[in-house]
Amino acid sequence: MARKILIIDDEDDIREVAALSLESVAGWEVIKASSGAQGLARAEEYQPDAILLDVMMPGMDGPTTFLELRKNQATAGIPVLLLTAKVQGTDQRRFADLGVEAVLFKPFDPLTLSTQIAAALGWS
Amino acid sequence: MKTTGQSGSRTDAALSQAMDGLWMRFLPEIKARVTVLEAAIKAVSEGKLTGKQREAAQAAAHKLAGVLGTFGLTRGTVLARELELTFARESSPGSGAGAKLAEIAAELRTMVERRKPSA
Repeated sequence: MARKILIIDDEDDIREVAALSLESVAGWEVIKASSGAQGLARAEEYQPDAILLDVMMPGMDGPTTFLELRKNQATAGIPVLLLTAKVQGTDQRRFADLGVEAVLFKPFDPLTLSTQIAAALGWS
Repeated sequence: MKTTGQSGSRTDAALSQAMDGLWMRFLPEIKARVTVLEAAIKAVSEGKLTGKQREAAQAAAHKLAGVLGTFGLTRGTVLARELELTFARESSPGSGAGAKLAEIAAELRTMVERRKPSA
């Protein structure tokens, strides 16, 4: 069954590469949002199977967006994976403590991104 | 993705080709980030780096670190990360650091301008 993934990232290049990767390698349906606020609306509207959420975004950042998703009954159950270029241990611990399903790192390999997501979510 | 068999190879080739298309589409943006870094490094050398410039340089380096490796430029990610950490420090780098930082930026610029299609 084709999965439906919402990518929330303000960086056009990263968003498009991730979308291309998930669509062409895994055959998943991809919905895109370029801000936390847009992501919240699209998550509620499209009810994706999972959300790939960038950490550093202007306005509403990834962790804040995640907390807003959890507050809304319509989106609270959607698995969220954070995507970050931050490599410092303190940041990684902080992200893990939020309660997201997984933290993935940029740069990612477009050939294996879907595999990483599927493994993190226990999708076969 | 497992890439065994002809079907996998075809997928890889198609993905590589599509990635090259995205690289060309976003190259002006990527080059602009390198330009932000070059300007900040010039300001470091002249002892004129402002807080705003430092923040812009940190953000540009962060974005480059995230994207270059995705397009196969792994060394570019390493260099950009080094610049990100430099500009993340509250204190501005001393003007003596300018030459070293300029070398890093020059290598980044060359790498970005010479990236070959992966397909």
